[in-house]
Amino acid sequence: MITFGFLINAISLGSLYALISLGLVMIYGVLKMVNFAYGELIMVGGYGLYLVGSKFNLPWIFVAAAAILAAMLVSYLTELVAFRHVREKSLTALLITSFAVSTLLQNGALLIISPRAKAVSLPKIFSSSITFLGITTPARNILTIAITILLLLGLSLLLRRTMLGIALRAASDNFRMTRMLGIPANLVISSAFIISGAIAGVVSLFWVGRTASVTPSIGQGPLLIAFIAIVVGGISSLEGAVVGGFVYGILFSFIGVLLPQTLLDYREAFMFVIVILILLWRPEGLIRVKYAEERVG
Amino acid sequence: MLHVENLKVRYGAITAVHDVSLEVKEGELVALIGVNGAGKTTTLSAIAGVVKTVSGSIYFEGQSIVGKSPEAILKLGVAVVPEQRDIFPSLTVEENLHMGAFSRHNHREYLADLKETFILFPILEERFQQLGGTLSGGEQQQLAIARSIMAHPKLLVLDEPSLGLAPKIVDQIFSLIVTLRTRGSTILLVEQNVNRTLDIADRVYLINNGRVEIQGTPDQLRSQGAIKDIYLGK
Amino acid sequence: MKKANLTHWFSSYSTIIILTVPMLIMAGLTDLFAGSLLIRIVTALFVSMVVVLGMQVFMGNSGILAWAHVGFMGIGAYISSICSMTPTTKEIAIPQIYPFLLNLHFSFIPSLLVGALVAVVIAAIISYPLMRLSDTTAAISSFALLIIINTVLIHWDKVTNGPRTLFGIEELTTVWTAVFSAILILIFAYLFKESSLGLKLRASRDDYHAAQAMGINITQVRYYSFVIGAGIASFGGGLFAHYITSFTPSAFYMAETFNILTMLVVGGTMGVSGAVIGTIVVTFAREGLRAVENFINLNHVLPFDVVGLTEVLLATALILILIFRPEGILGGREFRWMPKKSAKKKIEEPASVQVNE
Repeated sequence: MITFGFLINAISLGSLYALISLGLVMIYGVLKMVNFAYGELIMVGGYGLYLVGSKFNLPWIFVAAAAILAAMLVSYLTELVAFRHVREKSLTALLITSFAVSTLLQNGALLIISPRAKAVSLPKIFSSSITFLGITTPARNILTIAITILLLLGLSLLLRRTMLGIALRAASDNFRMTRMLGIPANLVISSAFIISGAIAGVVSLFWVGRTASVTPSIGQGPLLIAFIAIVVGGISSLEGAVVGGFVYGILFSFIGVLLPQTLLDYREAFMFVIVILILLWRPEGLIRVKYAEERVG
Repeated sequence: MLHVENLKVRYGAITAVHDVSLEVKEGELVALIGVNGAGKTTTLSAIAGVVKTVSGSIYFEGQSIVGKSPEAILKLGVAVVPEQRDIFPSLTVEENLHMGAFSRHNHREYLADLKETFILFPILEERFQQLGGTLSGGEQQQLAIARSIMAHPKLLVLDEPSLGLAPKIVDQIFSLIVTLRTRGSTILLVEQNVNRTLDIADRVYLINNGRVEIQGTPDQLRSQGAIKDIYLGK
Repeated sequence: MKKANLTHWFSSYSTIIILTVPMLIMAGLTDLFAGSLLIRIVTALFVSMVVVLGMQVFMGNSGILAWAHVGFMGIGAYISSICSMTPTTKEIAIPQIYPFLLNLHFSFIPSLLVGALVAVVIAAIISYPLMRLSDTTAAISSFALLIIINTVLIHWDKVTNGPRTLFGIEELTTVWTAVFSAILILIFAYLFKESSLGLKLRASRDDYHAAQAMGINITQVRYYSFVIGAGIASFGGGLFAHYITSFTPSAFYMAETFNILTMLVVGGTMGVSGAVIGTIVVTFAREGLRAVENFINLNHVLPFDVVGLTEVLLATALILILIFRPEGILGGREFRWMPKKSAKKKIEEPASVQVNE
């Protein structure tokens, strides 16, 4: 049944997916690499919620801030320790590095914390529902949509109005040229990783909020979502990622309603078949940029 | 100001530059000419720090810049406007110029420079809020040069600024180079448009097969007739 | 003249002998003297080597990441198991199996070959358009292929028993079948690399545009080698199935991809010798670390259980290799006999040309 409540659900899922993809494409912009360790940043955020929430008696908003900070910090550290030193080698080397970082972080969580799921305490707003215009919907949905809008506005301000933001966009266009204008490569790339980590941190609040628990492999789902979304929307622009995320989230909700139960199991494979078909049809995604781009070399 | 000695650059097994030595003194307009694939652009890339050198040295104001990062080289005062112009297509003209001034981080100076820029490049004022990618070739070339000037380089390096432009636009670009020169800029110019280049340069290096074949003033080169040999293949 | 040709011929094929003789000695010594645990490890090593060599055929020569490789290994494992199991075992192990599959029953080697053939057919049908893609899109689509294969394995109850364990496979892969398979694939991979197809593929890896300008149909050479690599992976998957005897679809997913990729990258993707050395080094490193991990957990050395330590250290090692020696331990070189020089075993520089784009 497609109701107004269902639509809000779908839009909320779309917003979350848009955020997830935005974090991945931030790094793609400057490094031209899809970061396989991106899902693990969301995991780090989740464990941040768990650790800070269970060890300290703080208001939830501080716990959430700590989780976001943790994801930012880990994201920056992966760049500092690993990616920075592989950056000028081949794309394949970069991709393998990100896969290794992903494995490292996942198993690090197994080793340091636990293979078992850890319960995360969440504020009431995540489990309550609100009623307006005669429709009752989980408050989490509205919160997701609101935070996404705020974050998109903030990020857009950052990218359009600040020197660093413009430099990030310039680096996405032509990384080598930004360096030839004296813009430090490390500054630009580190900033991209930190922003990506911040987005992953925010995502982790909502992603963990759905199940109220965190496991070492919790980041795998969001990573695959982001892969699909950036392919659908176009990998070379932030706008494309946002559009792709929304389209995918809404499509996913509809498939859930429309597909017969027996085929629902294949939903993921089905989405990836669509991904490959889109790639073959339009390798640059649905939203095309008008200009050619090159990889950091 | 700039001393390049016995420069050698290799891409894998292909040696693009075998042995290039050149010098640019303060206030000079020095030109590098030669056919396609002679190694001109590679030489500039080595100066800009975007390709690694095999051997040889590059000194700028007495300081070795071999192995330095492109951003460090710019900070020392060498700005390179690359062959493909490499403006940022998804940024506005304003943002492109802003990026040129990144290394100087001073907003008041930036605004003053902007005024200066509009005098030299009036078209950029017209196109100020347009995306770089929507400009014509000649406009992009002007934007690329203007952007590099925003960094106040001590040495401006131009790689084939007339490449692919209509003759009328080429005139504009060359008179612009002359203007920059008379305002006191030191310029290293790479060109294929030999006659035009000989008209404006102080000294010329002719590069062939990755080596400096001949050097001298434009008059010396003209009288030797060597240019014809190289270009027409003897 | 004739003698010079002969030494040259011998020199260029010496790699095979230099690699296979120690492998045979290793297998022989293991069979004669080792306990059952070590026999298991060495058998697993040669099984992995088959899969790693298959990955080398495509990824090493083309320079493109082959995420889907381990997915094809899974296809081989399932198909060969279905072929080799007796109908009565199958009725219990895969209750929902299609009737036409139930009555299939082959001996070991034909089962492996059927598994490889099925993977070759699947790869041949789906991969051609994927080979046209470049860089990031190629990586994402081949990763997507791994996920698609995994999803199908998990949900196709009538063939795979779904996400549940498939059991009851006979243990037919001995250390000798494993080592001979590895040698066979090694010879194949080496000849492939030196063949004109391999040469074209390496040219496209080293300089895409120059290769194109030389008239090489890059999509086509990539396609052939991808299909061949998938066949080898599937063959290796069959060996794996008849070594491990029970498994789930998750055996052919991220963790195994990491494992195989680590072996290849540590040794050096660009050479057959690298694949062999990488497999040996990583197998022993992993088993050593796992033994340490088990020791800590069994004897309660630490107040908590240690899980994931092996993977953490292997991932760290992989990152360090990529930073400091991205071409792997051997850097793409092959072991080679050089008769003219005083040194007997010399490592030859790769003849390839590398050009940055």
